[in-house]
Amino acid sequence: MKQEAIIDQLKVIVKPYVTDEQAFSNLTEATDFINDLKINSANLIDVILDIEEFFAIEIDNTSMERMIDVQSAVAIITAKLEAQ
Amino acid sequence: MIGNDVVDLDLAGRQSNWRRKGYLDKIFTPDEQHYILQAPDPDTVVWTLWTRKEAVYKIIRQQNGIRGFYPLRIATTHFENGTVCFDNQLFYTQTEVTATSIHTIALLIPTFDQVITLPLHQELFKIDEVPYVILDDKKHAVSKSHHGRFERVVGCRLSVVG
Repeated sequence: MKQEAIIDQLKVIVKPYVTDEQAFSNLTEATDFINDLKINSANLIDVILDIEEFFAIEIDNTSMERMIDVQSAVAIITAKLEAQ
Repeated sequence: MIGNDVVDLDLAGRQSNWRRKGYLDKIFTPDEQHYILQAPDPDTVVWTLWTRKEAVYKIIRQQNGIRGFYPLRIATTHFENGTVCFDNQLFYTQTEVTATSIHTIALLIPTFDQVITLPLHQELFKIDEVPYVILDDKKHAVSKSHHGRFERVVGCRLSVVG
């Protein structure tokens, strides 16, 4: 799966939890889930569970620690998909 | 150093479904999950334990400056007295539960009698994203939390910085 395709899917996943629409429309790799998109940290768990379900991967606790921005999420998803 | 976290129970009920499959496993240790599931009011316990982790995380961030998402490593060591452990370091927490909100304050030394609630109009400054206020010409580290209808800014008289 190409990086752009992963980012596009990630946008679909995070959209329901985003509270800063402006930051969402300007989303880049550097976008931070909490600081920029203002996703509630309890909803970050939902983002992670939605990622697991959609991509059929398991995000282990060590990977979850880094799940704070688009760039890290894409890197983790890519690595998990490649390991399959 | 001080950390705090507030949850608007009404908003949390609409925003989060902690009963979702896999949800508790990502946040709570087996001991914590057991404590939640046997509680008469599991919602209150979920958000009490969650605000403790968030409040402690705010202190950890001030200590090491590293951001990350590791709620499982910030574990309750005593459910009643509110002590929490991270990497062998002990934190003290105090939680206020009302019908509409849950607010937890975390400290490294349990001097909760020195905690002050600051007015929301108090001017806040920041060093490396950590907020502080100036009281009597001294800089005091503070912690701010906002969720739904509630916003709380707390400081500790003993916590002088700079």
